[in-house]
Amino acid sequence: MDQLKTVETTAVAEEAAQYIVVRLGEEQYGIDIRYVDNIVRMQHITRVPKVAPYIKGVINLRGEVIPVMSVRLKMDLPEDVEAKSTRIIILKLEQHGTIGIIVDEVKEVVTLTTDCIEKMAYDGNENKSHFISGIGKDGEELISLLDLNSVLLEK
Amino acid sequence: MDVNQYLGIFLDESREHLENLNTQIMNLEQNPEDADTINEIFRAAHSLKGMAGTMGYKRMQNLTHDMENVFTEIRNGSLKVNSNLIDILFQCLDALDEYTNNIQETSDEGTNDNKPLIEQLNAFLKEGKSDAQMEEQKKEAKEEAPKAAEGNGRSWEQITLGDPEKHVIATAKEQGKQAYGLTIRIQETCILKAARAFLVYKAVEEKAEIIVCNPSAQDIEDEKFDLEFSLIVISDQSLDEIIKAAENVSEIASVVGDVINIDTSVKDEPEEKPAAVAGKPETKPATAPQNNAPAKQQADKKTGKPVVNRTVRVDIEKLDVLMNLVSELIIAKNSLVSASSTEGATGAGFNEQIEYLESVTTNLHESVMKVRMVPIESVVSKFPRMIRELSKKLDKKMELYMTGEETELDRTVVDEIGDPLMHLLRNSADHGLESAEVRAQRGKPEVGSIFLDAYQDGNNVVIEVRDDGNGIDTEAVKQKAIERGVITPEQAESMNEKDIIGLLFHAGFSTSTKVTDVSGRGVGLDVVKSKIESLSGEVEVKSKLGEGSTWIIRLPLTLAIIQALMVIVGGEKYAISLGSIQTIEDINPAEIKLVGNNEVIKLRGNVIPLVRLSKELDIESQKSPEENMVVVIVKKGEKLAGLVVDELIGQQEIVIKSLGKYINKCKIISGATILGDGEVALILDANALI
Repeated sequence: MDQLKTVETTAVAEEAAQYIVVRLGEEQYGIDIRYVDNIVRMQHITRVPKVAPYIKGVINLRGEVIPVMSVRLKMDLPEDVEAKSTRIIILKLEQHGTIGIIVDEVKEVVTLTTDCIEKMAYDGNENKSHFISGIGKDGEELISLLDLNSVLLEK
Repeated sequence: MDVNQYLGIFLDESREHLENLNTQIMNLEQNPEDADTINEIFRAAHSLKGMAGTMGYKRMQNLTHDMENVFTEIRNGSLKVNSNLIDILFQCLDALDEYTNNIQETSDEGTNDNKPLIEQLNAFLKEGKSDAQMEEQKKEAKEEAPKAAEGNGRSWEQITLGDPEKHVIATAKEQGKQAYGLTIRIQETCILKAARAFLVYKAVEEKAEIIVCNPSAQDIEDEKFDLEFSLIVISDQSLDEIIKAAENVSEIASVVGDVINIDTSVKDEPEEKPAAVAGKPETKPATAPQNNAPAKQQADKKTGKPVVNRTVRVDIEKLDVLMNLVSELIIAKNSLVSASSTEGATGAGFNEQIEYLESVTTNLHESVMKVRMVPIESVVSKFPRMIRELSKKLDKKMELYMTGEETELDRTVVDEIGDPLMHLLRNSADHGLESAEVRAQRGKPEVGSIFLDAYQDGNNVVIEVRDDGNGIDTEAVKQKAIERGVITPEQAESMNEKDIIGLLFHAGFSTSTKVTDVSGRGVGLDVVKSKIESLSGEVEVKSKLGEGSTWIIRLPLTLAIIQALMVIVGGEKYAISLGSIQTIEDINPAEIKLVGNNEVIKLRGNVIPLVRLSKELDIESQKSPEENMVVVIVKKGEKLAGLVVDELIGQQEIVIKSLGKYINKCKIISGATILGDGEVALILDANALI
């Protein structure tokens, strides 16, 4: 039975996957929904000394201490400006454990089929292209799909 | 009938018995004549055998059975204990340990029969046994036999056979098979009667087809029977073989059986034939549950996960205390609720309730910690044997002296501490102690001594491994380090003794010129260090060349909850473990002196280096430099340091949370905690700051 289920999910993943569309500055990014554990409002972040600048600190998520990183700083974008729409997306990944990332806004959830996703041509000039696994087309809108593993990978 | 539900108990108890056997056999070697020790060994071996048998682990049972035979002879005085015998017994214990480990992993004992061991055991038996004793035993056996027969009825005769059963028997006879009645009587002392009965059932089933079972198979499974149960079976094998199969199960008092002859006239009546056909399915319910059980077991085996979780045995009194505290907690909560709903909740009553709640939670915490604590005995008890073996292997005479085995530590720590301690002991035995000739030259006693002392020191547990051997030859260490390229000769010049000893913990470093299979692979000490640090402990070495060395391991008593001092540095809150704080001082900036480039203060004759936390934490202090400073004096072992903070908040009980694997580079932060207002505060590791 279990085997059957995983076969099913991978089959779905091949054909279509759901992404959470978030805004960072002016651009829209997609995050694979399978890794998203939770979305919380911006809250006080406790600074941790002597860590990489893009790690903003830690927050308390229902009794657990969770590190929070700034994707903006990681991608060499200007520093986050805290606004009403700012959210922390809590991601759960095998190799990194639980970690939060700060986004300017959470917009919607879209379903993208494989033929709507174009693999990213590598552009050496742009630093942030390291973190993009592909471009999704949702109607007229273009969504850059974040490659979470390289986003979270320590430099 | 599924024995898996007993697996946890079985494993726990087996381990306990094995540990016990280990210690007792060590004792036996020292006092071969001590009757108490032998009896204790005998009891442990016997229980082990019984349990293995109950659970159906035949190989384990066989091995313990043969060991038990040897112990019997020792007890009777007909077999003398010698070093060889002890060696073999220890090997047997290792084999048993392997079985238990296999069982824990897969719920199966594995396929190793350990034939050579069993043969060696039997060889000892033959040597030791004189003919006279053999006869004596036979006599005993004979005497026992009739006794057993007396006590047992032939209750299968009381089973009334229905026509269908009769038919089955009749047809079986036509096919040249025989029908037998069996009555199995289980020993009165047996605890898991159902399990025994099930094993007998299984054993018989291999040889024969069971057609009637009294009481029913279901009742047997539910243990709804006395000491006896009866079976009617058909088989093409002889009665003796079936009885033997049943008797092989341990804790069975007796198996009585006979051939059943029934009136064959039944089968002459043709109209009964359909009944016979109907009778066949009827036999199935009896056997069906039995067929199911092995199938289920097989399925369990396939999942392949360790079957049993780690357990802690808890004194029932400790649980009672916990239960009481929880009920107090509920009362305290209720009083708070009522206090807050009445007008004027700001009054003294409210504070009183909060104080009450505080004392309850503190007690609760203490009790829960106590439940998690286990004595380190379970780990150190295997060491005397290890030293004995090392002594033989290295051909050095040595003796291990242990104190403080009853010292308690958190279960998780106790589980992890075994390997590092073993490394240190091996190290002392191999590198520390000199050979007999050298010892004689130096005027030391021929037998080297290794000490293992454990004791509690404040919030820490200290474990010391000490030997009266050669001590650490710092020159040799220095040479070796240069040779290995760990340090340059120039660096070596400027190093003091302590630094050099610290090199021993460097990865890939081993001073023994000979690589033995005991130690000397150079993977020892750095592993010890990292292991102990992962338990938030520390290692220290004191050594005097020619006189011996002492390895000191310091471990925190508890891991999860600590008393801490909350401080403010640059507007941020930090916690410092109260255990490491010595005093808090108010210091005038004018008292600061400079030694080299470091700030120090003089306090009651001690020169204490200052650590400005604002600098360490990359933050601006919010106090002006002219104001008096608040200095928290912390200590690590003998060393002191003064941490400069902006403000004190107060003492608080905090729950330690890990920062997660994503943030692990920050050495001065040992964790985080969540404050009453939901904010996260970081915990400073005073040890890393010194």
